[in-house]
Amino acid sequence: MKVSLNWLKEFVELPVDARRLKADLVSIGLNAESFQAAGEDVVFEVEVTSNRPDCLSHYGIAREVSALYRKRLAPLEFTCKGISALASGEAAIEILNPELCARYCGRVVRGVEVKPSPEWLVRRLEAVGQRPINNVADITNYVLMELGHPLHAFDLMRLEEHKVVVRSARPGEQLRTLDGVNRTLAASDLVIADSRRPIALAGVMGGEDSEISDRTHTVLLESAWFDPATVRRTSKAHGLHTEASHRFERGADIEMAPIALDRAAILIAQLGNGEILRGAIDVYPVPRRRTHIDLRRKEIHRILGEEVLWEEVERILRALGFKVERRGTEGWRVTPPMARLDVDREVDLIEEVARHYGYNRLPARVRPAPPRLATDEAREKELRISDTLVALGYREIIPPAMVDPDENARFTDCPPVVLENPLSQDASAMRSSAVPSMIHTVKWNLDRYRNDLRLFEMGKVYSAKQKGLPDERRVLVLGATGNREPGTVHRKKMEISIFDLKGDVEQVLSDFDLPGVSFEPFSIGYLEERVAGRFIGAGGALATLGRLNEGLARGYKLRQAVWVAEVDLDALLRARLNQKSFKPISKYPAIERDFSLVVLCDTAYGKLEEAIRGLRIEDLESIKPIERRSSDELPDGTIPAGHASLLLRITFQSPTRTLAGDEVELQSRRIVDALKSLGVQIRAQG
Amino acid sequence: MSGSETENRIPSRKAGTRSGMSIDKVQKTLKDLRVKTPEEIGELFAEVSALLDRERQTLIERGAADEDERARKVKELRDRWLARKGGVVSLIDENWLKQAQKELKPAVGRAFNDLRRHAVAVDAERLLEDVPVRRGAWARAAEGTAHAGEARLPVAARHLDVTLPGHRRPLGSIHPVTQVMREIEDIFLGLGFSIESGPEIESVYYNFDALNIPESHPARDDWDTLYVNSETVLRTHTSPVQIRAMEKHGAPLYILCPGKAYRHDNPDSTHATMFHQVEGLAVDKDISFADLKGTLDYFAKKFFGDTIKTNLSPSFFPFTEPSGELAINCVFCGGEGCRVCKESGWVEVMGCGMVHPEVLRHGGIDPERYSGWAFGLGVERFAMMKYDINDIQLFHQGDVRFLEQF
Repeated sequence: MKVSLNWLKEFVELPVDARRLKADLVSIGLNAESFQAAGEDVVFEVEVTSNRPDCLSHYGIAREVSALYRKRLAPLEFTCKGISALASGEAAIEILNPELCARYCGRVVRGVEVKPSPEWLVRRLEAVGQRPINNVADITNYVLMELGHPLHAFDLMRLEEHKVVVRSARPGEQLRTLDGVNRTLAASDLVIADSRRPIALAGVMGGEDSEISDRTHTVLLESAWFDPATVRRTSKAHGLHTEASHRFERGADIEMAPIALDRAAILIAQLGNGEILRGAIDVYPVPRRRTHIDLRRKEIHRILGEEVLWEEVERILRALGFKVERRGTEGWRVTPPMARLDVDREVDLIEEVARHYGYNRLPARVRPAPPRLATDEAREKELRISDTLVALGYREIIPPAMVDPDENARFTDCPPVVLENPLSQDASAMRSSAVPSMIHTVKWNLDRYRNDLRLFEMGKVYSAKQKGLPDERRVLVLGATGNREPGTVHRKKMEISIFDLKGDVEQVLSDFDLPGVSFEPFSIGYLEERVAGRFIGAGGALATLGRLNEGLARGYKLRQAVWVAEVDLDALLRARLNQKSFKPISKYPAIERDFSLVVLCDTAYGKLEEAIRGLRIEDLESIKPIERRSSDELPDGTIPAGHASLLLRITFQSPTRTLAGDEVELQSRRIVDALKSLGVQIRAQG
Repeated sequence: MSGSETENRIPSRKAGTRSGMSIDKVQKTLKDLRVKTPEEIGELFAEVSALLDRERQTLIERGAADEDERARKVKELRDRWLARKGGVVSLIDENWLKQAQKELKPAVGRAFNDLRRHAVAVDAERLLEDVPVRRGAWARAAEGTAHAGEARLPVAARHLDVTLPGHRRPLGSIHPVTQVMREIEDIFLGLGFSIESGPEIESVYYNFDALNIPESHPARDDWDTLYVNSETVLRTHTSPVQIRAMEKHGAPLYILCPGKAYRHDNPDSTHATMFHQVEGLAVDKDISFADLKGTLDYFAKKFFGDTIKTNLSPSFFPFTEPSGELAINCVFCGGEGCRVCKESGWVEVMGCGMVHPEVLRHGGIDPERYSGWAFGLGVERFAMMKYDINDIQLFHQGDVRFLEQF
């Protein structure tokens, strides 16, 4: 809200300059963001938090300033000198929903000349960002800015039977509001009506029919108090946010209603040469009262960590308009003013004390938590995974979790979580696959000529459920494309293959205690068949990886092969990290034996290794495939078509002794026999 | 396919292990081998020499696929024979010469010296020059051996230009948001806090109602919300984890809740639909505003540097009372006032306050016995301040030109 310094000075003395005032306002919670000179005036932009409607006016801010600088706040004294005719003889006011409209005050001003406002008024309104209209409308705005209470002026002659009724709208009733929009009302809307039709949306906006015009001579001024929740509902339902609704929905000051009314009536009479009819009509069926709150000295100390002096507490609260009574040695009985609906608990009073005592004067201490033995295992595991991936050259990404549901559906059958009010179609659902996010990121970089990429994301996927909150699963996604190492003057580039990706996933898995992990060829829709597979653990699939299929790659206009792996992060986080324990390094020589094999292309290497491991050879140190060539890669006739040559290197080593040649020979023969039983031809061995 | 022909082409590093001589012999003593006469000694050493020659010759014939492989193979051969520990020559020294009976010693010594001179033939430098680089054994099979030797390259150590840039292997990196988040976590883990998490798709109850933000209050509008349905939202802050943790653990409670949050904000350089927050919460007996002030000042100094000053000013959040906004003195102008700090000398970094009694009650904690403080901060904003980043969108695009700077 915009605050004029000159206006403020009408209510309180300011002992400091604007710059200092700005800092001081911030120190009591009035976030003065900036100020600038406006002629002889200075205008502040103050951000008022939603709990402080009382500060949405110059008078309200003046009250805070008076407490801050210990200066007197000017009292509000307006005396309406009415003529003999009674207002109540000219207009009638009736409230049908007193729970939604607790008070309705009205005054009638007769013989008003509607014309432009005088210059001083125009200048003030413009300084605080209000557009001048005519003297009557401007005065209601002026009083709004001054005292914070919204007013409305009706052309009384245009009200049927000169009557005002506050009631719920009848479903389907029509009202053309001042902004020129025809609105269809609902039963939940509270309206001001005459005897026939609605003439205003209560607390939100007036109707065009009863608007003040050049022909208006008798004005009915409204100053009322409407239920905050009702105003908020109507304002939201009609998408109408006004200065009035802004204040009513935050809670206006019910005691300010008659005061603001008088202030406006006097100004209208003055500036419009009108006559105020005698008596205010004040319909206030159940006068409201604030109940007192007990404030304990001990509680101030408990919450603020400071003993605030008795006198200091009393001075602050009284300056802010609270009634304060001391109660023995315990504390006080405090009654908040009507303007402060935000204060209804002891702790709210403590905040008032703290604000004006000064947050900066309160003590400070660092208090750590009690010592704790437990370690955060999940965090430890995540750190381990990301350390491994960074060491392998992967960069972490954090892409948005919101996707286009149609795109998402190309990667998973699992339904995503669709949003009710998305910002756009391509971000209208919470993804149930994290693969498209990875592809988008890869593409973003490829489109910018960054061709060698290894990226990872540790994020979540979401899926809708019949009942309750959606499922959230954690996933690790790897994406890779281009070269593992770029070519340099020293070395040729090394293109990424499925085995790079598979090896990287193996590295990640190897940190975890996952018994019986196997790998099998496997493909799902978005991966290229035969260039994909998955790791299976005791609890099911742990990771699926492969090359993005060509159709999709074309669809995304990817210039090169992209490799993707999806790892079930939840499964890893459930598993234990491998416990490190030292295995003595053998002092004895290792003996290697090479086996040159010819196998059917369909014979999976995994089967061969399994068969060899199945022999349970005690001193078998490692099995490594050294070279594999399929018949297609070899000169015709080298090996039969549909076969592959495979060179296996097997290392034997004992931790306790030097292995004798004949022992190794014996085991080699067993290996050969095991392989032969799988239909493998042995071409050479040594 | 003729077996013998192809057999020779199968690359095998340990050709020697297939020869008549079993290298295992060097593990034994002459006595164990029953070698008693100088003639037998001569034979044995000749056998070793022949083996050495064969291995060397095989390596030269086979060649290597590239320089790397050549260097490796040459080193392997050299190590096998000449390694000070476990090399064949040193094993012969240990097992044959040193263990030899007195009367055989001179003969063994002479033979051993001959062998040692001979073994220099597998000296790495020389061998490197002799072993050709070829495109691989199978390619050679296809081409025949006519052009073997053409690919021989001398090792041009003399011509090496060491001023060429080093060969850098690409490293990975941790996202700056994660880095900042971990840094914040580490500070609070050091204070004994533990880490809690909760769902990102959250019920309206946990996201708003339990945090004292009723639908009917305009404060609800301070959070632009993405809805799944009338009861479910994308959490607009990490604060719901406060309630969940209170329900789960009760008091005392010292926790940090890092995670993603979402807002219905059109993306621009300072707004992102998805962003990260860290929420901190301490609930215990006699926790006061002093703990909030002191702990956050400590945190800000740890994170931004110990010369930073903090300032706490009143604010409003429905879930804290009293509420505050923590500011640090502006690092750009040093507190003089500039555009970044809007001439105030201070930059707001996080919201905080004493936990509202109603919120404690919603978490099942008696506000008369316990009190607490809480704060919430935006991780992207912290990262932007720390690294001087001017556009929040950069965090989620995944541009490696951005990522590689961290």
